[in-house]
Formats: sequence, C-alpha cells, structure tokens
Amino acid sequence: MQISIDNLQKILEKSIHSSYAEARYQHRVRNEIVVGNGEVEEAKSTRIEGIGFRVLVNGAWGFSSTNTTISKTMIDTLDDAVKMAKISATAQKKKSRLAETKLSNGVFKPSINDPLEDHSLEEKMTLVTKTECDSRRYFDIIKAATCSYREIIDNKIIVTTDGAAAEIYYSKPEFRITSIAARNGERVSATETVGVTGGWRDLFEKRSAEEMSRKASETAKKILDARHPKGERSKVILDSGMVGLIAHEAIGHTVEADFVLSGSIVKDKIGEKIASNLVTLVDSGLSEIVRGAAGTILVDDEGVPASKTVVIKKGILESYLHNRETAAEFNVEPTGNARAFEYSDEPLIRMRNTYIEPGDYELDEMIQEIDHGYLLKGPRSGQADANGEFMFGAQEAFLIENGEVRELLKGVTVSGRALDVLQTVDALGKEFSYDIGAGYCGKKQLAKVDGGGPYLRCESLIGGMQ
Amino acid sequence: MKISENELVESCRLAVNTAIKKGADSAEAYSVSSVETEASIEQNDVKLGKFHQRSGIGIRVIKNGALGFSSVNMLSQEEINESIDASIKIASKGSYDQYNIFPNTKVPQKLSDIYDQEAHDFKPENSVKNAVKMLKTARRYDERVTVDSGVFNNSLNSIAVVNSNGVECVETTSNFTWYIMGMAIDGKEVSSFDFQFGGSHHLKDIAVEDTARNFAENVVKSLGSKKCQPFKGTLILSPHAVTELILPTLVNSVNSNNVQKGRSSFAGKMGNEIACNELTITDDATWSDGLSASSFDREGVPRKKLDIIDKGILKSYLYNTYTACRDKINSTGHASGDEESSPGVGSTNIIFKEGKSSFENILSEVKKGILVTRFSGNVNPVSGDFSGVVKGGHLIISGERIHPLSETLIAGNIFESLFEISDISKDREKVFNILAPYIRVEDISVTSG
Repeated sequence: MQISIDNLQKILEKSIHSSYAEARYQHRVRNEIVVGNGEVEEAKSTRIEGIGFRVLVNGAWGFSSTNTTISKTMIDTLDDAVKMAKISATAQKKKSRLAETKLSNGVFKPSINDPLEDHSLEEKMTLVTKTECDSRRYFDIIKAATCSYREIIDNKIIVTTDGAAAEIYYSKPEFRITSIAARNGERVSATETVGVTGGWRDLFEKRSAEEMSRKASETAKKILDARHPKGERSKVILDSGMVGLIAHEAIGHTVEADFVLSGSIVKDKIGEKIASNLVTLVDSGLSEIVRGAAGTILVDDEGVPASKTVVIKKGILESYLHNRETAAEFNVEPTGNARAFEYSDEPLIRMRNTYIEPGDYELDEMIQEIDHGYLLKGPRSGQADANGEFMFGAQEAFLIENGEVRELLKGVTVSGRALDVLQTVDALGKEFSYDIGAGYCGKKQLAKVDGGGPYLRCESLIGGMQ
Repeated sequence: MKISENELVESCRLAVNTAIKKGADSAEAYSVSSVETEASIEQNDVKLGKFHQRSGIGIRVIKNGALGFSSVNMLSQEEINESIDASIKIASKGSYDQYNIFPNTKVPQKLSDIYDQEAHDFKPENSVKNAVKMLKTARRYDERVTVDSGVFNNSLNSIAVVNSNGVECVETTSNFTWYIMGMAIDGKEVSSFDFQFGGSHHLKDIAVEDTARNFAENVVKSLGSKKCQPFKGTLILSPHAVTELILPTLVNSVNSNNVQKGRSSFAGKMGNEIACNELTITDDATWSDGLSASSFDREGVPRKKLDIIDKGILKSYLYNTYTACRDKINSTGHASGDEESSPGVGSTNIIFKEGKSSFENILSEVKKGILVTRFSGNVNPVSGDFSGVVKGGHLIISGERIHPLSETLIAGNIFESLFEISDISKDREKVFNILAPYIRVEDISVTSG
C-alpha cells in the first residue's frame, strides 16, 4: 500500500485513547560497496519500510512499530502502542507533556547536486575499486587498503494528532579510504573520510576520491616512521574535524536536555559564562557557512522545524537542545532535536550539525605564537562523560617548537574537562569546514551527525608514551 | 503475531528456488523474525513501553562466480522477488572469484539451552517491573546515585538459513537483556558515568539487581576523583575493561579476512608465541550461558568450540566459508552478520581461561599502578597502539587503593602488552557474551595532571 500523509492521518483518527499520537513512515534504501586489496568484500542493497507509532496516554509514552503497511495491521500496531503506554503509566511517576509549537507541513527536501540515483552501480563500483587499487600503488610500503562507499536514501512521512504533516526526503552518501603501511611486522593505518547530505557532486566537492586516497597513503607512510609523542598538558591547535568532535563530545552531549535533567555538568548554568568569550557554539539542522553537512535535517522526528540553535554565544550558555517534552519542562521553544534513526526507533534528543563559529586568525599566526605544542589533525572516535571529561583521538600529531611545525608524531588521544578546556580557547581560524560527516553518533540508536569549525587553539591533555 | 519457524524456512526456500529460476548459479537466503517488548528508564523514572516486531530476509546469489546481496524487511513474494532481482543485478556487475561458494555442511546439532518456553508467556508488564526493580535497587544503594537511562528487553528471535547446496536450518532463541547507565551526584560534584549490562536466555537467570548494585557501587566509588603524577607502571584491568581494551584488537587480529588482507598483526604467526603463557582464550558458541550462543553460523555451518590462543600460542584464526576456501581448509563456523549484510567473519562467545590468583592477591602485589574499571579511548586494531582515558579508575600504591582518578590517560601497545601480562585472576565475570578475568599488565604509560 502506498503510504501518504492522508493515510496516516486517517489511522491516527482511530487513536481515541491517547492525548497525543504520532505516526512516522519510513522507506530507506542503503547501498554499500566495500573493496579490500582488489576484492569486492561487500556489494549490497538493503531496503526497509515500516511505520512507528508513538502515543501519550495518561502522561506516559507507548511505542510500537510494524513493517506491514496494511490498514488493519497499522491500526493494531497503534493499539499496541496505546497498550504499552497504559502499562508504563502504572509505574511512571512524572507525567510527560509536550510544548505547543508551530509544526511542519509540506514537502521538505535539502538541495542536491547531482542525484545519487543518476550514477550507476557500475560507476560506483568502478570508483571504489580504482581508489582502493590506487592507494596501494602510491608507495611500496602500503601493503593493504580498504575503500568503501555507502549511501542512505530516505523518504519519511511524519504526522501528529496536533498538526504536523511533513513529507521528507534525504540523500546522505559517504566515502572512506584506509591505507595500511607495514614494515618488519609493524603496521599502521590512516583513514580519510567524507560524508554529506546531498548528491554525488556534493560528496566530492571538497576533495576528489584520488586526493583522499593519496592523503591516506601518504599519512600511513609517514606515521609508520613517526615516534610516539610524550604525554603532557600542552597548547594544541585542533583542525576542523577535531573541533567538530570537541563541539559534539565535550559540549554537545552535556547540553542535550534529557541529560541536563539527569544532572549534567551544565545543569542550571543557562546565562553563565562556561567558555572563552571567543567561543560561539551552534547545533543546527541546517547547514550554515558551508552547505551539505551530513547531519542536516529540515524537520525533526516530532515534526518540529529543525533550525539553528545557538548553544553558547561568546562564552555564555544560551540554550540546551530540546524535544517537545523537555521544552515543556524548561518552558522554552523546542529546538528540533528529536531524532529517530529508523521507523522502529523512538525519537530521542540528538545533535545535528554541531560547530564552533570561525574567528579571524590565519593558521600560521596561531602556530607562530606557540613555543611548545601540537597541531592535531584527523579526528578519530570520541566519547564524553557525565563529569564533562571528554576524550577523542587524532590521527596525526605535529610537534610545534618555537613557532614552527616540526616533525610528525604518531596519533594521540586528547582529553580534558570540557568547561576547563573551552575556557582556554585563545584563537580561532578564519577557514571553516564540516569534517565528521562520515560518522554516526550512538545513543541507544544511531544518528547521522556532522560537526566542524575553524582551527582552534586551546590547552589540553594529550596521552602519549612516558 | 510472530512468524513461525516453518514459515521462515518456507520463505527462505522460496527465495532460493526463485533465485535459481531467475538465473543465479547458487543462492542462499537468511531470514529472521523477532518480537520484543521493552521498558526504558530515563532520569530516575520509567519512560517508555515499547513493542516491536521485526522480520526480514537477506538473499545472496552467485552468478558466474560473482556475488550479489540484497535484503528487505518484508517477507512477501513480491518483496522477495524484488530483492532477488537486486542481488542478481549486483552479481552481474561483480567480478569472478573462485572462492565464492556456499557451504554444504550437515544439519547442526541443536543447542538445547538457549530457548526458554516461559519466555513465550512473559508479559510486557514484567518488562516494566524488571526495569523498576533495576532502578530502585540502584537508587536505594546510595541516594547520590542518578540513573540517566536504562532498558529491560525481552525478545524471541528465530533465524533460518537455506541454500541451494541443501543446507537448511532454523533456530529460536529467547533473550532477556538489560542495562543501566548513570552517575553519582554529590553537591556540585558529578562522578564519571558507569554502564553495566546483563543478559540471559532464561527467565530464572534474570539478575537486574546484581547489575544495578554493580553500577551503583562503581559510580559512588568514583566520587572524589583526583589527578595523579605521570608515571610508568602497572594496570589491573577489570573484566569489563578487558573487553574494551584487549579483546577488540585480538578479535580483529584472528579474523581470517583481516589476516588474508594484510590487516592483522597475527598474519604469518600461526603456532607462534603471541602472548604470555598464562593466556588461553577460546571462542565457543556452544556455551549456552553466553548471549552469542547458537548452533549454526550465518551460513548454516555448525558451531564448535575453538581454541584461539593456548598458553600464549596462536592456535587458530576464525573462518567463514569464503576465507576457509582461500586457505584450503574447512570453515570454523564463524560466519557473522544478520539479514542486512552478507556474511562476514566474527567471534561468538569468548572465554578467557581462569588464572590462579585471587583478585586481592593481584592487587596486593602492585607497587604503583591503576585499577581500570572502564577504558574510553582509541585502539588501533592494526598497529595495536592504544591511547585513552581511564574511567572509574583508582590509583594503587603498595597494593592499596589511594583515590579515584580523573583526567588520567593510558597509552601503550596491545601486542606488546600481551607479553607484559603478569597475572590473571581465577575470578571471572560474564560480560554478555564474554567470560573474562582481571588481568594485570606491566609497563604502561600513564599521563595525568
């Protein structure tokens, strides 16, 4: 059965036992090609389709989902959600309620340069195969490589009993190349990635596949010969991807309003200075400054328009990230951060594109002012803790001595207390980019996010060999 | 209603037969059906009741020696046909690979202890009751404990595999799983997060209170954390930390696909000493207590117990049919994945052999070191280099816990550390699908301050 806004509205009319009900239909196609050492390791197409119903009964939430789009099954599934809400209500102490807000109506589709569907499977396989092969040819010391292309093509319909009726289309491709250098039993790897919301041309707008594979191989070759840095507290300059991670891990998670309610370190700190006054930190469903960020959403999964939220303005904490429920709790407007990865997931408060706004420094100036420190490039995975302690990895660490970049060292882990580290920010670069769009954030379920910023100088602890 | 085992097998047969009729040389179908109820906790309160039914089928075909794979989350004839067409199209664009074959193994012996009949009658109300019990246990342990989130989940999962070589198997598993996550808050101080989880196949083995108490104890103990001076010394890894720090690199390195593709440091080291002689690790999907127990793998190959490392000697890699064929041996039954991907290679239940010392003895012999409860960091599975933050850790001097640690990083190399293991405890803990001891490792760099 072809699902439409009208269908879902008619189904929700049956929900007479709930004070609020929402239906989210999703059709998702995921295509993936992985090539390793000249062999196709994965070439697949995955399709999912289904509907998730979430209802509020006596102030308690119930959720149920089905992969069947027959009216009777959908009504039964809605009834299951009501039944689950009634069971929850027997144990839940605090009644949930939703903030009133303007909800989205219409068709929403971020701009796309060169739709993915216009590029054949052969073309994509050829590119992945060639890129993987090329990356092993640049240097003899590169002994293995893996290249992958993944794309998610989504069609969602979100309808709520209080007025949301939105049809949404997303196209999110990503590309990744890893080169492995080896000598005398020692192996090191280096990875370059890109992920966007958009089309084929958007994916390779910043760098071609060839540039990425050459960079991965060059980095792996250099890291093999590099020594480990010494662990210490030091001045560091973070590249845009690392700034994206610090914005996401160190601050972003602590300002998710559900976590604030649990007792995050920024609880009751709205209006307080929590960072250097150079820092303006934003989480946005749109893709400001540079288009095509991977975490772009125009409407969230409660039907709220996903606009720009200034979290920290010139060092002052201005806003948390909200869904409709926490917005009601804090008596503010929802910020459009309710997101669900698939139809079978319930919406949770998640980030979108999280970044720090650029400043007025050239990178060279930032380096010249450092006597001893590190230029850290190439974000690796990160995590944040309840106490604001964060950690994330850098693929490359360049030693800075007396205002000049010296040797490349092996990658490091950067750590610190978020609010302490952000107070030490003393320079921001002019250039801006998003750089963590090939990754996902995990919080019960996945979310496609992005992050970025300019080069940022601060003080942090880096882990190394003593 | 959940789809029956017979219906699942029938959908797989249909898919395989149709794929052959449509021109595939060989075909395999893997289908799943599950039904689950879940109760979640947020901010010290019950948050959501959830009911979810899932089904799907993954179809793999070989045509002219090339592989194609496609999946769909519906089992109707029309959807299956569309998925078969997509698989054949992908295969027709692929290239010939002589090792692309499907297994023709015998029907595996069924594991008897991974399905509990009582799970059928488990009501959603009981999921909520268990979630509440977990929450209350944690909160009663100490008033400073705050539960950020938690879940109790009950599921019945059936899987079926059929291929055109005659493999045909089906199995149903009952699972009860739960987790709890949060921190302790004392005035303005917020502790480190802790995350504890558990699972069982049987109703009688649900132990949410034990999990909640461990969680609460960890977060309260991590209050009052301080930095320490940088040093090089000893680490004691908790069973949980063993699974986070050591295990991922070991599993990556014994994965035959990585070995064959030059992505493993264990390539060419079969039969070599790769760790201290106290370290013995087996992979055993037939261990029913482990949450990864099953009688056959993603390709329908029977599971078996496999020694990976025996007294420090590398004994076996993990193989699926493709990688085994490349090395001209039989699959070890380690094809991994679900219906949404073609089979990879993966571990199942991992069992570390117990050591001889008690945890207290291991601790008492430390001159200067750190007890690591959790590790949050990056491990490069190829080089083995690791660097990350100690979570819920304690500084140990002369065998005594001095204070909890904050802003403390550890760094080193896993492969080198395997030779620096100085003791393994006789006490082991089940961490979902892993049975791990405390492991003491020497000569690790600690950065703090």
